[in-house]
Amino acid sequence: MEYTGGCFCGAIRYRITGEGYDAVNCHCRRCRRSVGAPFVSWVSFRVEEFEYTAGAPAEYESSPGALRAFCSVCGTSLGNRRVDRPEEIVISICSLDQPETVAPGLHIWGSEQLPWVRLADGLPVNANE
Amino acid sequence: MNDKRQLEGGCLCGLVRYRLDGPPSKVACCHCQSCRRASGAPYVAWVTFAKKDVEFAATPPAEYRSSAKATRGHCVRCGTSLTYEHDEHPDQVDITVATLDEPDVLPLACHIWVTHKLPWVKLGDGLPQYAEWRTPDEEGSPGGS
Repeated sequence: MEYTGGCFCGAIRYRITGEGYDAVNCHCRRCRRSVGAPFVSWVSFRVEEFEYTAGAPAEYESSPGALRAFCSVCGTSLGNRRVDRPEEIVISICSLDQPETVAPGLHIWGSEQLPWVRLADGLPVNANE
Repeated sequence: MNDKRQLEGGCLCGLVRYRLDGPPSKVACCHCQSCRRASGAPYVAWVTFAKKDVEFAATPPAEYRSSAKATRGHCVRCGTSLTYEHDEHPDQVDITVATLDEPDVLPLACHIWVTHKLPWVKLGDGLPQYAEWRTPDEEGSPGGS
């Protein structure tokens, strides 16, 4: 499977050749604040199946060893990675060119979900991770 | 909700901080393709304030011209999406509700641009859904690219 994606302004583009796993909607405070949205949808890929084809994101270390990637020109949140998981990269599904093709299968951090976010997707909700 | 209530917020890293001192609009979740791509999220909740009622502390958002008539603002250090301004409403600024320190205090009123809604986003709040945008006079916030 091949996926492509990037930021809003196009300065950063990426390509993935592989299958994503662990597609989740995260409701944690830190993800919400980082992106500026009610919740964020993430999908993981093996790092060797991922490459930037244009530009390089800025990174912010939002907690020790956790780096969040974004475009410094337009601000799009692109993904995150953990230094203790060098084999993995996590991508924001909504930075994919076809986000409709990757449906999350789980909600995480339901304990921090905003009270006015009410979804009817029937997916399981984990209180934490 | 007390319209006189003062609201504060900012980005994840704290570089950008703001204070909102006037009556907020209703909150609208925007599902448009531009909001999704600009933020990196399935939809974005916006609240509109008069520009005179929005005060940034030391550092304002970095601005990006996202369409012919719109400007979006984010934190240059951590990337948080913070603002949206449209040339046709020069006295207004939209703020991302998720960057408020207490994002739960402003109730959600409606969803806009549901023609662009992702198929796996299944809304269950029973609120009005509009095909495209609604102006603040109608419902919720502007929005659009």
